[in-house]
Amino acid sequence: MKSPASASWKAPLKFRMPTAENLIPIRLDIEVDGQRYKDAFTWNPYDPDSEVVMFAKRTVKDLKLAPGFLPQIVQSIQSQLATFRSYEGQDMYVGDKIIPIKLDLQVNHTVIRDQFLWDLNNFDSDPEEFARTLCKDLGIEDPEVGPAVAFAIREQLYEIAIQNVTSARENRISKKGRRAAEHFTPSKASGAALDLMKLFSFRSSVVRKRKEWDYYKPVLDLLSNEEVDALEAKEERSGR
Amino acid sequence: MAEKSPVKEAASSESIPISNSNQLKPSPQLPSKFSSQTAPNSEVPSTPTSRPPSADADVVYVPSYSRWFSWDKIDSCESRFLPEFFDGRSASKGPSLYIYYRNSIIKLFRENPSRKITFTDVRKTLVGDVGSIRRVFDFLDHWGLINYSASSALSKPSKDTGSNIKSSDSPSVESPSSAAPTSKHSSNSRRICGACKSLCTIACFVCDKYDSTLCARCYVRGNFRVGLSNADFRRVEITDEAKADWSEKETLLLLEAIMHYGDDWKKVAQHVGGRTDKDCVAHFVKLPFGEEYLGHPLSNDDESGFETNKRMCLTPLADASNPIMAQAAFLSALAGVEIAEAAAQAAVSVLSQVDDITASRVGSGSLERNSKRESEISSNGDTNQNALERAAYADANSLLDKEEQDIERAITGITEVQMKEIQDKFLRFEEMDLQTEKERQQLESMKNLLFIDQLNLSFRRNYT
Repeated sequence: MKSPASASWKAPLKFRMPTAENLIPIRLDIEVDGQRYKDAFTWNPYDPDSEVVMFAKRTVKDLKLAPGFLPQIVQSIQSQLATFRSYEGQDMYVGDKIIPIKLDLQVNHTVIRDQFLWDLNNFDSDPEEFARTLCKDLGIEDPEVGPAVAFAIREQLYEIAIQNVTSARENRISKKGRRAAEHFTPSKASGAALDLMKLFSFRSSVVRKRKEWDYYKPVLDLLSNEEVDALEAKEERSGR
Repeated sequence: MAEKSPVKEAASSESIPISNSNQLKPSPQLPSKFSSQTAPNSEVPSTPTSRPPSADADVVYVPSYSRWFSWDKIDSCESRFLPEFFDGRSASKGPSLYIYYRNSIIKLFRENPSRKITFTDVRKTLVGDVGSIRRVFDFLDHWGLINYSASSALSKPSKDTGSNIKSSDSPSVESPSSAAPTSKHSSNSRRICGACKSLCTIACFVCDKYDSTLCARCYVRGNFRVGLSNADFRRVEITDEAKADWSEKETLLLLEAIMHYGDDWKKVAQHVGGRTDKDCVAHFVKLPFGEEYLGHPLSNDDESGFETNKRMCLTPLADASNPIMAQAAFLSALAGVEIAEAAAQAAVSVLSQVDDITASRVGSGSLERNSKRESEISSNGDTNQNALERAAYADANSLLDKEEQDIERAITGITEVQMKEIQDKFLRFEEMDLQTEKERQQLESMKNLLFIDQLNLSFRRNYT
């Protein structure tokens, strides 16, 4: 499949996370008997299924949750794994996509906001390494921030990978020619990616413009206890 | 950071203490086998038992089959057990990652060696996928590098349901008859009604004389033994009782403290720790042999006789309709004669001072208010010796009068001074006024002169 010049296409690959380790983000949000358990972590989908049950048991025991949580946790993890596996056999198109990844997290007392560019084509990228370095460089003392950052990055990559898969499916469905399909992928892709392609054209330099420096800088805030409580209350209200 | 972590190996022991100093990484010259080092360690070599008692904060015990452990090196057994990091399958999951996981987990554990670290604690703080973290954690756990000598009591300390406080003193307390089988003594947290054997929930009624507990229903129905009446029971809230259970230890501390400090309840409360002074007083009074342990400072027979009299006299007042009065009477009885007197005097004088100030401002009959208050206080002191009280009362009155007069004089003085000030100001203003008048007139005359001069000049000019 030769691709025309404007939108460079790669041959479709099998779906996988565009990172070195094919790990998927798993998010849990379960409520049993008024007790709420929210969690987010990274999972290796090649672990045997027995791992799921073991992990759930340990979590329930360590966090002293009600035993009613156990089947729900197992079910949630397994359903997310199944979703991942359903995408796995399919094709995924990745163009030359450099996407902005945004971080906007609040972990215990730390609030971190950041934005940076990530190359989707780099299948050796490692969000964990990035998170570790970020925390070390910013001198974050709370050790729970690292995993949260890595998870956020992975989640966004996962979303985009899924989008690519669905766009591939729609491509195959639509019987239009390649040009129309081209139209498809760019329009589906985040508009930001295209803009960035313009940025890297011969006219501009690789060095970022000064006025954009602040936009791409990490912002780190340490909250006091009251602010944490206020944020939690706001979340609960909005959730309701 | 370059300090070695000295290890001492006892020849026959099964475990080795490792000094958990603040430095995290030992110097790189440390050989991977520790047995050759005999750096002196201030700690005693471990006992031959398989799990040594909970270690000091500075010493972490590690089983001897794990002595290969080193912060910087990876042993062959590690690569055997956790091949995923070492087979080069993925670029990022390499030995350095394994070292990062392993060292972070061990560091986390050694921060608090007496507490068992859970897998969830660890995986929340490490960046990576939970499967591999779990495998590293299990490996370290299995090899005793973490959670080895931790105490197993993770849960909250179990409540002191406590042995009976009174069991040691108790023979004279009659155990109730079989009709009301023993509900436990007051140290237990759950109360079962003696009559109907149901669990007391909200409040129960306790009779101290025969030490029986009745639930609210039985009490209302009058379901108690012969010889008891309604008044003998006191109401006990379950919630209060639950947190106010006095363990034996606390009672011992309390008695000790009373012996040392006598009537200083603040110090007693401090000594007992965890109880307010009111709690101590209340509990102390409830103890049957409290008086014996008191060792009253002026104990002679009159006093002790008087005290027992007082205790008996106490009960009628305890039923007094005014709870505050009852409380005050009770406390004064407890605290002793002179102290209550002194307290009453001090209270009266302060009150009268406060009243004076308000009265002089208002200018109304402060004396009336004072006398009313004093009468209240004096009726409060009924249980004390009345003669001394009257004398104190008279003294207080005369002091009061003097104070009032002083204050009146002072106030008149102040007002006089202020009036004088105002008068002076007036005078000054008048002077200033006069002066300005004079100046104005001068200016007027000068103006006139100037005008005349101008006229003269113009005439001259016209002529010439």
